Amino acid sequence: MEKLVRPHISPEKNQKKMQKDAILKAIFRIAAIISGGAIAVIVVFVFMRGVQPFLPGYENGQVNFLDFLFGTLWRQDQGIYGVGFIVINTLLTSFGALLISFPLSVLTALFIVKIAPKWLSKVMTTIVELLASIPSVVYGVFAAGAITTLVISLASSMGMSTAGGNSFLAVVLLLAIMIFPTITSLSITAISSVDRALEEGSLALGATKTQTNFKVVLIAAKSGIFAGAILGIGRAFGEATAVAMVAGNKMFGPTFNLFDITRTLTSTMLSGLKETTGLDYDIRFSVGLVLMVVILVSNLLLNLVKKKVGNMS
Amino acid sequence: MKIKTGNQNKRRFYDGILQALTYLSSGISVLVLVALFVFIFSRGWSSINMDLLTNNYWSENYNVEPVSEVADTTFERPADLSEEAYFSEKWGVAFVDHVNAHKEEMILVEYIDENSPLYAMSDVSIRSNPQDFTMQVGMQVSRLSYTNEQGDTQLAGIGGQTAQDVAQALDQATSVNSMFIQTTGGGIRGSIISTFYLLLVSLVIAIPVGVASAIYLNEYARKSKFNMMLRSGIETLTGVPSIVFGLMGVTVLFPVTQLFGATTTSILLGGLTMSIILLPTIIRSTEEALLVVPQHLRDASLSVGANQSQTIFKIVLPCAVPGILTGVLLGIGRVIGESAALIYTMGTFINDSPTLLSQGTSLAVQIWSIMSGEQPNYELACAISIIILFFVLILNFAVKIISKRFSKAWY
Repeated sequence: MEKLVRPHISPEKNQKKMQKDAILKAIFRIAAIISGGAIAVIVVFVFMRGVQPFLPGYENGQVNFLDFLFGTLWRQDQGIYGVGFIVINTLLTSFGALLISFPLSVLTALFIVKIAPKWLSKVMTTIVELLASIPSVVYGVFAAGAITTLVISLASSMGMSTAGGNSFLAVVLLLAIMIFPTITSLSITAISSVDRALEEGSLALGATKTQTNFKVVLIAAKSGIFAGAILGIGRAFGEATAVAMVAGNKMFGPTFNLFDITRTLTSTMLSGLKETTGLDYDIRFSVGLVLMVVILVSNLLLNLVKKKVGNMS
Repeated sequence: MKIKTGNQNKRRFYDGILQALTYLSSGISVLVLVALFVFIFSRGWSSINMDLLTNNYWSENYNVEPVSEVADTTFERPADLSEEAYFSEKWGVAFVDHVNAHKEEMILVEYIDENSPLYAMSDVSIRSNPQDFTMQVGMQVSRLSYTNEQGDTQLAGIGGQTAQDVAQALDQATSVNSMFIQTTGGGIRGSIISTFYLLLVSLVIAIPVGVASAIYLNEYARKSKFNMMLRSGIETLTGVPSIVFGLMGVTVLFPVTQLFGATTTSILLGGLTMSIILLPTIIRSTEEALLVVPQHLRDASLSVGANQSQTIFKIVLPCAVPGILTGVLLGIGRVIGESAALIYTMGTFINDSPTLLSQGTSLAVQIWSIMSGEQPNYELACAISIIILFFVLILNFAVKIISKRFSKAWY
């Protein structure tokens, strides 16, 4: 395109201006590439560092990949690293948390959007936002001090013993609390965007308000609610500090007993972190890699389920 | 056809149950929040005071000896000294009884006169290398060896003695041989400084890069495949667990900090890592703000001869400032609360005199550090939690106010 410049403006000055524009555009572009490319850099570098212990010629002694992946023993002191049971523990705790949190979140979201009077729904929204903004380390302190006490009294009433309350159950309860705001806020968005005409149709057919809420609104919003659940479970997988405070870090497993201590991928990555060299440090990158794979695979699977659920009507 | 009353009752019954379920689940969430606040505040509130904010975490021990002899002058008791302090007129020093956070009784220096022989002393903890030592208010006297008028060497300040005993003993002393001084520890001064460093580094990097990225994506980028990839890359970044960011920090960004002279994990490394974590937050809120800037403003600017970058800097960005501010405030909250990524990139050693290139702990990491030890200190952890919660809640409140005020376009 020909640039039209009025004759009394000097062409050099105009060219300078255009150059400046081009430079700035390039700078903006570089910034965007940095931001967008960060994820690729993360994946590539963590992968490269994480596979190192399994490659021949690794300085601290090569680790057998299959033993690592399917092992049921994790002994830092003996140099035995098996991540298989940890993956199972992570899946169990996260889905256990989802099992508790999902119904509570959806019902709370329904309450906020459809049932509560206006002032109460405002209060409840603030409460959900508050819960979302509390940092995970504070949840960790709460879990280590209060949830463990609850678990101890629960265990003693059932005649079981716990290791100071650090247990599978404590992790599940903690994660349930932590993913609650995520699922709730996405459910709120999903429920409030349900078409008003659908509801009115249901009401006109003679259904009560409650029947409409449960049988029409929730069904119509299920795709968005499911997206919230996927986001919530992603958060549960990746939650580190708080979980590490109450997991107890069992050395073998998997753990199926609710009152027994457990070990998740993230608590493994944080436990006994002292030196920054050697196999014990490098293997944490491998665990991180496993964590990323677990999150990715479960996201893909859940998205497939979501598609199935979304198409069903 | 008429509806049977029985059916209607049944329906009402089921409706009631379902309705009650929603009330119950909302009630549970309220209960959890209340329980959390009650727990944190009941355990931590009593530990919150100025000492917590200004003290170092590690207490230091000094073995000190006076350098000057006692003069014949007497010191005046200062008028503003509290009733509970015991003053020694001969030495110009006042002591007070104190109980620390661990319920240990101790004797603290409440007042020290600048002309007192106990003010400027010599630290002889290492005999061959004596250091100058200045007695300061708030230091703990755990042992005091003095010579009395009969020429006997006596000890004061040891177990069971109160501030009054020490002050009286001093008044009878003709010379002080040595004192054993401890600074009170258990504070969070170092972590507060580290947190500020962390905020500074992460925001200085994340704001320009984030805002520039948002500008590119919203103002320049056409709908090409490459730009869609950039967008989804940024989107994915939000879902990455923070501990993975920590792993990334020590592999990717550590060489960068080495250029600045870092030898270990450092606050600088933590800040760089945090800046990556903040990017999606800042990009998203900036973009939301840019989206609502009306197109006709841009058109008008371009039509009077401004080029695109001039339009962006002089017209579009000023309109988007509230949105950027929202992103920055959310980012500050994220930095204050972040722990997992920082444990990997800054270490867990609580550093009382942090610099950019040394290890250190932010407030959240200090909580982790004292909780993961052999004996978790709940009081201190809860006290720090209260401080973190306070800041996070204020920031969230500010974000709400800003977005409420500027949600309606003012132009």
